Amino acid sequence: MAQDRDLEDYRACLIDGLKVRARRSACGSSDPIHVFVNEHRVGTLDGGGTETTFQIQIQTRIDTVELRSEDGVLLGGLSAPEYGFRTAHIPISGDTIQLRVHNTAQGGSATAMFTPAPSSWRRIWKTLAASAEATVRLPTVMMGPRIRVVAVAQLLLAIVVVGLAADRIAVWMAPERTPSMVTQAEAPWAASLPEVTKLERQLGELAQMQARTVDTIQLQQQGMAQLQSTITKLSSTQEKVVSNMLTVRQEMEKQQKGSGREVRQMTRLLMGKALSEQEQLEAEIHSLTVANDRLSEKMVGLEQDNEELKKKLKAAGVDVSKAVVSGHGNATTTRPPDIGQTPQSLQAADSRSNIQLQPFLFWVAFSEGTTQESIDQWLREMDGRKGVLNEGWQEVAIVQPAVPPDRFLDRIREAKIVKAVRTNR
Amino acid sequence: MPDRTTTVIRLEDVVRTADEFDQLVSQALPVFLDRATSSTKRYLRETGQWADDVAHEKFVLRWGAEYLERFLVCGRSEAPCRPLFLLDSFVAKQHSQPDPFCYHPDLLTPLGRYLDGLVARAVISRDALIALYHHCYGMGPRDVIAITGLNELESQRIYKNFRRWRDSGWQRTMDEIGMTDVELEELVVQQQRHPQRFHHEAERLVRFAQAHYRKSEPDHYPCLSRSQWGAMFSEGHGCDYRLWHLVLCADCIQTAWDLGRNGDETIGKPRVELHVRP
Ligand SMILES: [Zn+2]
Ligand SMILES: [Zn+2]
Repeated sequence: MAQDRDLEDYRACLIDGLKVRARRSACGSSDPIHVFVNEHRVGTLDGGGTETTFQIQIQTRIDTVELRSEDGVLLGGLSAPEYGFRTAHIPISGDTIQLRVHNTAQGGSATAMFTPAPSSWRRIWKTLAASAEATVRLPTVMMGPRIRVVAVAQLLLAIVVVGLAADRIAVWMAPERTPSMVTQAEAPWAASLPEVTKLERQLGELAQMQARTVDTIQLQQQGMAQLQSTITKLSSTQEKVVSNMLTVRQEMEKQQKGSGREVRQMTRLLMGKALSEQEQLEAEIHSLTVANDRLSEKMVGLEQDNEELKKKLKAAGVDVSKAVVSGHGNATTTRPPDIGQTPQSLQAADSRSNIQLQPFLFWVAFSEGTTQESIDQWLREMDGRKGVLNEGWQEVAIVQPAVPPDRFLDRIREAKIVKAVRTNR
Repeated sequence: MPDRTTTVIRLEDVVRTADEFDQLVSQALPVFLDRATSSTKRYLRETGQWADDVAHEKFVLRWGAEYLERFLVCGRSEAPCRPLFLLDSFVAKQHSQPDPFCYHPDLLTPLGRYLDGLVARAVISRDALIALYHHCYGMGPRDVIAITGLNELESQRIYKNFRRWRDSGWQRTMDEIGMTDVELEELVVQQQRHPQRFHHEAERLVRFAQAHYRKSEPDHYPCLSRSQWGAMFSEGHGCDYRLWHLVLCADCIQTAWDLGRNGDETIGKPRVELHVRP
């Protein structure tokens, strides 16, 4: 009887465990995530660090790809089709891991790609810069080749992404830069009310999607500048290593005249290290190429969605390029006059276009006791121009902020000396 | 009172999306667990490994839950599908593998279940893997770092692993393998009363479980010769290899210890010595 009870308890305990599943992990977002293919552990993804893509190719078919935390909790997974592709997006504490598997007659391949939430990009660049800093300070012999390798590879990735993005930004921004009024006569309006609502939603989606992508790209651009300085530092470190190696060699030769054995051994050791570094670099670049392809695909996908949405809207009688922008908040021109308010999405799109055209204006109240000196320095740091001061509110003009206004203002609010911010007089 | 007819779940039905899949399966977890469990029981019967006792019932429950957990996560990507039948095929696929689990009558004793559960967990949890150094060899974080020759950067994680295991990982693992406090206490008592006999039995079972689960890592982690280990240590690569293999191989860990002896003998020669609690 006691045994039956025991068994019943056990069963209940297991069911409870299954209910809470992934929520049980005691790991943080910076702990590594383990990738399992067909229940074999094959590698890790480092969410908080720099290893953001993992790829594997095996000779047999892939059945499952699973992600587990350090404490073994199953975070997500994917069951592969017999042949062909399948993908899954697995949200993990704000970030996303994209899984993709592909089975062919030759075997299977799987990719896991860590896509941080936009705000974590900054965290990653920071980590990278910090590790580079640390590397520079280490004794030269201890220099970690991985860190340099990753930095170089990330730079490559960033360049490609930015390059890829540049023309797309142009494409997306272009219609917004040429405001044109749409008169009632030009807009062949024949949609019913539900259709209008649907269109509104689609338009909102479009604007959001564009904003998201532009956001990401801009953050990456910032990261790139940081990276470039990192790389410069690192290459000078490398030069130091080389010169130190020469010194060591000379020293050894001096001290142990005749016996070249030690020297040869040391040289061989160092050569071996260099070779393995190179192999690592190659592997890293390979996996980054894959990640890169993935990004380009995503870009293409986004663009296609974009086009499709535009087409749909056009078919419904709305020219998207005209709808998104319309002079000064006059978005209602694309709508029948009997429907009241300006839709949220159109307003958002409108303000986006404005910030690209003219200086962005806002008003700041500074914390008590802030010196004029620190205000001036703060303004210099963000390339801002001072306007009039009115009842404690300082007008500030910024030429083309690098990020969308709301994000930009959030950052302003983060500054120690800033007490309050507003965007209207 | 809620209308019962609206909550009736038609398990044989098709779910169209992953969300529908989640909803249906989470509402019917007991049904799904029983299904996975009875499939496993049938497999044991048909392969002549079944006996009518609590240990066997616990064994199939444990594996049923394990399969179901994976099914919950991976099965949703199969939508549209019929979840109940998909589970059947999912479990059948597991059983079609050469060694679906580590089954041996000796592993169905409390000590066997404990060790099998612990080592099985190490396969999927890095925390549990590192904790095995403690449970099998009585090592602490410092000893682990010394015997596997980790550098400073790599050793940070070891402390975290130990900590998390003590805080939550161990209890969760005991819950999942159905070790009750009474059973654990019983093990401790046995160990005190008959240290010699307990030790021999533990070592035999540890080696048995190690040999089975060692294969769970990709095939590039086999036993190495003394000189190969030596090269790996001096060149400082294969960090994962060392951590994985040494704790799961009672022979290689001794080789590694021999190689690492450089004057200060901070850790004694590693021998299997069970530490029941974390
Ligand atoms: Zn294998
Ligand atoms: Zn071995």
